Amino acid sequence: MADPARIKTEVTLESPVAGQDEKPKAKATNDTSSPAPEKPADELKESSSQDQRKQDDASEPAAAEDEEEGTSGQPASKRLKVEPEKKKEKRQKVDEDEIQKMQVLVSSFSEDQLNRYEMYRRSAFPKAAIKRLIQSITGSSVSQNVVIAMSGISKVFAGEIVEEALDVCEKWGDTPPLQPKHMREAVRRLKSRHQIPNTKYKNILFH
Amino acid sequence: MADEEDETGFEEELDEGCSGVDVCHGRRKRLFSKELRCMMYGFGDDQNPYTESVDILEDLVIEFITEMTHKAMSIGRQGRVQVEDIVFLIRKDPRKFARVKDLLTMNEELKRARKAFDEANYGS
Repeated sequence: MADPARIKTEVTLESPVAGQDEKPKAKATNDTSSPAPEKPADELKESSSQDQRKQDDASEPAAAEDEEEGTSGQPASKRLKVEPEKKKEKRQKVDEDEIQKMQVLVSSFSEDQLNRYEMYRRSAFPKAAIKRLIQSITGSSVSQNVVIAMSGISKVFAGEIVEEALDVCEKWGDTPPLQPKHMREAVRRLKSRHQIPNTKYKNILFH
Repeated sequence: MADEEDETGFEEELDEGCSGVDVCHGRRKRLFSKELRCMMYGFGDDQNPYTESVDILEDLVIEFITEMTHKAMSIGRQGRVQVEDIVFLIRKDPRKFARVKDLLTMNEELKRARKAFDEANYGS
């Protein structure tokens, strides 16, 4: 479990060494890092964010000297520079958080679960077939990005149907493998939620 | 609702009727059978899903792609399918939107990495 008190003392010990302008940034990152559950994860994050801050600080005094000679303390331009960096740090921290959590999760999978996870990650639609299909509909060629986007969305779509069908299967007291009746009920439910595109039936408002 | 039932029922009848006939309309060769099996297992189904379920899912996916393509052709630049059109059509669905953004950013990163790698090789 994380000990916020312990983490705070670590940061304040280092800040006088690096310089005064680290203090407001240190306080900000402390607030965002305290809810993290694991100690080694915290230390990793602290060290990486501190390295970043040190790099930023190395470039900042030079820029500050160029801009303002007379004024001392925190100029407004420096404060403006700090904010997008804070957001980037926060986003990178969230990414690192998520990567750490995924690693912990995957490392605790059984062999069965590992197999299924591998299939989940690796399965994909063949790009050539998707490209052929789209080109047969449009009649003209399509770019590679379109094929990448379309195959990605189709996989998500297939996943939504299978998940809904598994819900239906469980609700009806059946067991997998999924039967066509589960698939059809899943499609019916998704259609009522407008998650399946349907341009075949036009809504005639006034008969 | 009765219309929807008839629609899927009609497809099924076509399947059953076609087994004894040589030339069938609307009975394409199965494009994604192998990949869809792996995908269904990955998403939570049994390791050996039923062939009929895989068929239904393939028909649904092909219909989805067809609908998206038609919609994309009708917006933006007419008669062409572009990435921006797909992103626009998907904007209301958070999962698909996030996935497309991720895929396209990753593709850009990979292209940049490959280009940098090739230039490094060319230099040495």
